[in-house]
Amino acid sequence: MEAFGLLLHGFAVLLTWKTLVLMMVGLVLGIFVGVLPGLGGPNGVAILLPLTFTMDPTSAIVMLSCIYWGALFGGAITSILFNIPGEAWSVATTFDGYPMAQQGRAAEALTAAFTSSFIGSLVAVLLITFLAPMISSFALKFGPPEFFAVYLLTFCSFVGLGREAKHKTVISMSLGLLLAGIGMDTVSGNLRMTFGSPELLRGVNFLVAVIGLFGISEILLTMEERLALRGHAAGISLRVVLGVWRDLPKYWVTLLRSSFIGCWLGITPGGAIAASFMGYNLAKRFAKEPESFGKGRIEGVFAPETAAHASGTSALLPMLALGIPGSGTAAILLGGLMVWGLNPGPLLFVEHKDFVWGLIASMYLGNVVGLVLVLTTVPIFASILRVPFAAVAPMIVVSCAIGAYAIQNAIFDIWLMLGFGVVGYVFKKIGIPLAPFTLALVLGNRAEDAFRLSMIGSGGTLKVFWSNGLVGSITTLAILLLFWPVIDSLLARVGLTHGTRATSR
Amino acid sequence: MRIPVKAVGAATALLLSTPAFAGWEPTKPVEIVVAAGAGGASDQMARMMQAAIQKNNLMKQPMVVSLKGGASGAEALMYMKSSEGDPNKVLIAYSLIYMLPLSAKIPFNWRELTPVSVVALDQFVLWDNSAGPKTVKEFVAAAKAASAPFKMGGTGSKREDHVLTVFLEQKTGAKFSYLPYKSGGEAATQLVGNHTQANVNNPSENLEVWRAGQVRPLCVFDKERISYTSKVTDTQSWADIPTCKEEGVDVQYLMLRAMFLPGKVTPEQQAFYVDLFHKVTQTAEYKEYMEKQALKPIFLTGKDMVQFLEEDDALNKSLMTQAGFVAK
Amino acid sequence: MSQTDIEIVVDDPTAPEDDSPSVVSSGTVEIVICLLLLALAATLGYDNWRTGASWDATGPEPGYFPFYLSIILGCGSLYGLIATLVSHRATRETFVARAQAGRVMAVFVPTLLFCLVTQFLGLYVASFLLIAGFMRLVGKITLWKSLLTALVFTAIMFVTFDIAFDVIMPKGPLEAALGR
Repeated sequence: MEAFGLLLHGFAVLLTWKTLVLMMVGLVLGIFVGVLPGLGGPNGVAILLPLTFTMDPTSAIVMLSCIYWGALFGGAITSILFNIPGEAWSVATTFDGYPMAQQGRAAEALTAAFTSSFIGSLVAVLLITFLAPMISSFALKFGPPEFFAVYLLTFCSFVGLGREAKHKTVISMSLGLLLAGIGMDTVSGNLRMTFGSPELLRGVNFLVAVIGLFGISEILLTMEERLALRGHAAGISLRVVLGVWRDLPKYWVTLLRSSFIGCWLGITPGGAIAASFMGYNLAKRFAKEPESFGKGRIEGVFAPETAAHASGTSALLPMLALGIPGSGTAAILLGGLMVWGLNPGPLLFVEHKDFVWGLIASMYLGNVVGLVLVLTTVPIFASILRVPFAAVAPMIVVSCAIGAYAIQNAIFDIWLMLGFGVVGYVFKKIGIPLAPFTLALVLGNRAEDAFRLSMIGSGGTLKVFWSNGLVGSITTLAILLLFWPVIDSLLARVGLTHGTRATSR
Repeated sequence: MRIPVKAVGAATALLLSTPAFAGWEPTKPVEIVVAAGAGGASDQMARMMQAAIQKNNLMKQPMVVSLKGGASGAEALMYMKSSEGDPNKVLIAYSLIYMLPLSAKIPFNWRELTPVSVVALDQFVLWDNSAGPKTVKEFVAAAKAASAPFKMGGTGSKREDHVLTVFLEQKTGAKFSYLPYKSGGEAATQLVGNHTQANVNNPSENLEVWRAGQVRPLCVFDKERISYTSKVTDTQSWADIPTCKEEGVDVQYLMLRAMFLPGKVTPEQQAFYVDLFHKVTQTAEYKEYMEKQALKPIFLTGKDMVQFLEEDDALNKSLMTQAGFVAK
Repeated sequence: MSQTDIEIVVDDPTAPEDDSPSVVSSGTVEIVICLLLLALAATLGYDNWRTGASWDATGPEPGYFPFYLSIILGCGSLYGLIATLVSHRATRETFVARAQAGRVMAVFVPTLLFCLVTQFLGLYVASFLLIAGFMRLVGKITLWKSLLTALVFTAIMFVTFDIAFDVIMPKGPLEAALGR
């Protein structure tokens, strides 16, 4: 059991007072950002990232992953008590969670939500634990062509499978790739698209863009809507918790199904949002009395929460193993890794064992500690919502500015953040998806470098992308995915399948 | 309400710590500007200095490492250039100060900054995979015989590693395709994975993979062998690596590691830092670091330093010109 | 711990009315955005063509990918432009109503001023001004509460970043006067 030994070592790395304190701080901050309107997992992690810049990578990632757990738990609090989904993936939780709260079963709903988040994440962490050692043995096989093929696969899956209007995905992605190219080109050592400006020399930092695109634009959007809210706060008693836990075995099918969906969608870039809806819909479809869903059924909380958290957690695996983020938060953690001087990708498992296993161990610990923490402190956090938005909004703006500035110590980045805030606001309103944009921004340069290094290495022939089984199959899969809509409709025409459109929604 | 009280406490503590003796001293935290990414050789050196200064109480104000590795370090150069007259920023420079203005037409000239001291010289070593040829002669023969050119990994384009590769080609007659990676660490792991056949990394960049027995040092690009004789791997020390000249390939290159202040600072401010970094080079932390990373100790300041810089500049310029890396 | 529900009610006195007139339609915004993106694509495309956008012996030149990406971006925006002009239905949808626009501006303008002030007076002074000003003027919260919240928040930020974690923020004359 290599994994088990490494995991124990990971726990040994973690069990110091300093990391435990950081863990608590991270969880509290995380719940905080999860509960606050206009913030949420990815933004919270992006804004709090600078706090970790002066820490060693292991402490830093422990704190960040705890912020992430906290935000995940925090999102459920607002969904259930106030019918405000803190995150897009909490939307499905409101379907049954809020009715339960209205019936005075808020405590039960919250316990169900936290418990199922815990279970979902736990399943995903177990999966990561057992898959991680395999990755490290396979890591050294990755040269430039292999890296390029994997990046290509990620980009193609976005264009081919995205639900938005294709031209909008294309606009979003090409804009991201272009902005990623600004600054110095590593392969030739030349500057490009800088127009002689020293500020553009360093390029557009991904994290600055994210803080603007999500943090600032979210404030603008939140402000635009009506902010009055009415909800129920509940203290959770031990009796309710035990009651819910005693009933858990009854729902094992739902829990297992949702965990599986979540893990699958987390590893392939499907995301937590799709996972939570799919978990909910399947639970409803297979239920004996589907019409009781939406009226405060506890399974309606279990199913989406388990799936969302399994997916959010397993999204970290492709990020660590391949350098490909499976979710927004994973993309930000990826940016963080690069700031700390760690190169995400298969080699991370070879070069920084301590870090990887420390992270995995912190997922277990953070999850357990987080569960206890949220169960005991719900009323305190729920009352945060009583703070007027007029006080919260400027604080979030300041936090965003601090976050944007600290990444490269550049005032120009604060302006850039503001600019991206406006872009994010407008894009969201006219339906240009932001996910391909951020993905392109974070992977664009790496993909281009990998492509050009492959070209130099092979003497300029594209055959290098089919030069061995590994790279060849990834490249082929990427191209299939890119043209999937076309292939799908062709298959439909010849009558082989009735089209996946009905199921892929 | 506890936190603001703490803030006031901290503020008064700072006000009380006024300098006890004459001469200039920084009154704000000092930024040590690194012209490279996190974890690179410059970053590690900056963090060593930060630790050495703090542990030995060489300065009252804290030192903060500020990474400005954007645009292959050009960001740091422009930042120093625009900080004229600010004595709270010190750049840890290497040969990019000569090369970047030539290759990428960055409007920068090291003569606009205030030189403080040269603190170390960095070596370059020719490495290959431990499954590859065992000596320089075999390596060159294999490179010449190969049907496709040998792949040489390195950091960045038109920089030290690239220049060395071009000179290796000229001296040996073998052909290499140079693959520019983002960092020395990446070049190291790509060599381990056999995606490149060789690299010309600094000792520090390949240290770990050498100790793991995954790469082999073939020769060092210096007039003399590295002086450190304690064993790094089971069988070899740095001093066991032959020079390239011994092996019949006469290519030499050393890279400076030097400290600079922005332009237009006062002589007192300059003197403070000369003294500070002189003290740093006396610390145990510095000595241990030099040996671990196989750096060549040196301390130059004042006129000696300027003379060294001028000569080094001329040398780098001629190398860059010969290699054809100077932008038109 | 009791199981009785505590009800939390937060009212929003400045909420927009639902029947506020539209300021601008989505279609118009889409057209403007597409035109802007087209202009951007043209500028970047030209710059990359100048840098060198061909495929030489060792693979693509530095401007190769960005050049073709600019073309793709241009095509995408052009398609978006035509699609919006052709479909009349989407054009009439409200992008933002007047009351909403007012509220968005009420956040955007202070944020803009905040960035400007940060440039000259440093982040902490700007942060104090933004929080106090926003709470007082936009949120209509009593002056002393606004000032106190702003002071406490700014102080916490200062202690956390500048003292505890050594993350240095932009400073202005006030901090210089205090010797930081």
